[in-house]
Amino acid sequence: MTKKTMTLNLTDAEMRVLEELCAKKDLSKTALLRQALRLYQLVEVRLEKGDKLFFEDDATKEKAEVMML
Amino acid sequence: MTVTVSPIYLFDVQRGEAAAAELWDAITERQLADWEAEWLPELFSAVQRLHRAGVERRLWPQSRQWDWRRKVKVLQGLLAYPGFSIVCGGVTQGMMIVDTTKKRCRIDTQNGQHLVYVEFVENAPWNRPELVDPPRYRGVGSILIRAAIALSQEEEFKGRIGLHSLPQANGFYANTCGMTDLGVDPEYEGLRYFEMTPEQAEAFITKGNQP
Repeated sequence: MTKKTMTLNLTDAEMRVLEELCAKKDLSKTALLRQALRLYQLVEVRLEKGDKLFFEDDATKEKAEVMML
Repeated sequence: MTVTVSPIYLFDVQRGEAAAAELWDAITERQLADWEAEWLPELFSAVQRLHRAGVERRLWPQSRQWDWRRKVKVLQGLLAYPGFSIVCGGVTQGMMIVDTTKKRCRIDTQNGQHLVYVEFVENAPWNRPELVDPPRYRGVGSILIRAAIALSQEEEFKGRIGLHSLPQANGFYANTCGMTDLGVDPEYEGLRYFEMTPEQAEAFITKGNQP
């Protein structure tokens, strides 16, 4: 599959977070950002359908809605 | 939609020889038409044979309830859910949809890492030894699992994959694929959950077509 190249401008703080996540997940910056894009698209499509995004505490089963602005 | 088609080989059981086939990195209208016109009539005939032979309903193929057209429609265009299919003899022989985004590894040594989760995978009914004896083609399941491993490697997940297995396929994932059986998942219809480590993926690829 052919791929296109782009330049991405990030602040120091954003780059630091990106590098921390890459180290934690053992992924390159490209792989991590592709993953983020897939997740962002998935969330956006579900929100557009009227779904809500929740985090659930595994122990208490308590749900907290993630407010998407 | 751009579809990449890769040459592969299945094993034609009746002829006892390799059959040229294609691996598509998509599920298109052609596959869905094959599912409706070719798979479903064969699947319902097989279920009818099981019923008439007195086989309990819980032992019938559970994928009989899957609606591939609806699945593809719901997931169409989502980057997180790529699909794959195998075509041989002009007919679709297998289909698979994977999730590259939402699921994480459960095995202790790789807990929390990314993996490719096999959401749905199905072999054409005439290729399933539990439904048809002898089956027409062998190798469909293995090639689709290899496609999931290859995608996992391409996404830098190092070959890690996971799936919940229908009861009829537990032996295939444990023995043929060499995946780790993490037992029954009470939160997923009581199905067993299997996961593959990078080392297991490498071993499965190296093993090739040997059983």
